[in-house]
Amino acid sequence: MAAAVIPRGNVSGLEHKEFEKLAVPLMDGLYNFACWMCGDPDEARDLVQETLLKSLRAFGSFRQGTNFRAWMFRILRNTFLTSRTGLERRNTQQEDEENFAEAAVSTETPEIALIRRADTELVQAAIAQLAPPWQEVVLLAEVEEMKYKEIAEALDVPIGTVMSRLARARQQIKVYIMTALSEKKVVGIKR
Amino acid sequence: MNCEQRGNTALYVDGELEPAAQQAFAGHLENCAECSAAVLEQQELKKAVRVAGKKFSAPPELYAAAHRNLAPRRSRAWWKLAMAPLAVLLLALITYLAIPRRSVDAMISGVVNQHLTTMASTTPVDIVNSSHHVVKPWFIGRLPFTFNMPELAGTDYQLIGGKQVFVDQRPGAQLLYQAGRHKVSIFIFQSADTGLGTRSPRWNHDLTFTVGSWTAGGRECYLVTDGNQNEADKLATMFQEANRS
Repeated sequence: MAAAVIPRGNVSGLEHKEFEKLAVPLMDGLYNFACWMCGDPDEARDLVQETLLKSLRAFGSFRQGTNFRAWMFRILRNTFLTSRTGLERRNTQQEDEENFAEAAVSTETPEIALIRRADTELVQAAIAQLAPPWQEVVLLAEVEEMKYKEIAEALDVPIGTVMSRLARARQQIKVYIMTALSEKKVVGIKR
Repeated sequence: MNCEQRGNTALYVDGELEPAAQQAFAGHLENCAECSAAVLEQQELKKAVRVAGKKFSAPPELYAAAHRNLAPRRSRAWWKLAMAPLAVLLLALITYLAIPRRSVDAMISGVVNQHLTTMASTTPVDIVNSSHHVVKPWFIGRLPFTFNMPELAGTDYQLIGGKQVFVDQRPGAQLLYQAGRHKVSIFIFQSADTGLGTRSPRWNHDLTFTVGSWTAGGRECYLVTDGNQNEADKLATMFQEANRS
């Protein structure tokens, strides 16, 4: 993705300062989310810059009192989805959440012990194998610690969809970790 | 799956129940082994995903580009064009000076970001306790090193708690303190240089936050706060004393 040159619109100096005050603390989270979506640090950097410029241009129309963080993540995601990588990813994803019924979750303590044994590398592999709709919802919920309502705003989906995707994402991560540790296929196991 | 309240575990773990329902479900957990186990499992999974999912940190050049791009445009100034060659020279000089300190700068940028994230979080720490006798043992098994924490009796500081963090792909401890009206984060990492001796706190005055760094007992430590340096220096010295080998 080439770095975008976007006109900044009629944003006053005061609004510039206000925007910067609100946006800069979100940079790390935006970049982390962008890296997971793009899979490429350079592309993620361009995506964050483009998002900042787009949101600055639209800051005049941003309604005070609404959720700025959800608004920024929504712009980032929409920008990504309209990029070449985003379009390719969207075309290859298979969303079968309607057919998803939450699988019975065992409450056996050995599973808790297994999750504790999973190291960061293994959990990252588990997140990486998720399809985009589930990956983005789990990242916003766990890493950005967003509430369901905030995630729904950022992804532009109903809260019910957020809940079902989150349940499915967690189940898939858990199954991935269990399978990897029981088969000992993955090297990243704590000693 | 027998308990009819089993469906509430995810809502409880995510803090999505109404306060009264949250409290009622907490009471239910005391008597329901099935839901307790499910909650514990989901909490462990959340923690693991939170740590693993925070894989990338925005590089300093992205912050620089953002500041540059977000700065308000001023009226056209011809003299800026005339200053261009000087700016190139200045940039080259800054780049030259910055190269040897890159890893330190990345760490400082990382800990400041981490402090900001903590301040904005609804759950700033993973272990909430004012006693270092409780907080310090919590890190055992979570970090590949140990550290000492100073005794706070008779001081103006109060321990809030701590959590495990990853900065520049290095595992470390973040300890959060209350100092008057300000919050102070202390970050502790294993020093990459094993032969590193003790170094007194060095303060960075180029940032909005008060940021200090020092080494003691093979540990690399950082302090970040929006309070003043005098307050911060006292706590930094106490930490240095506690970890002097």
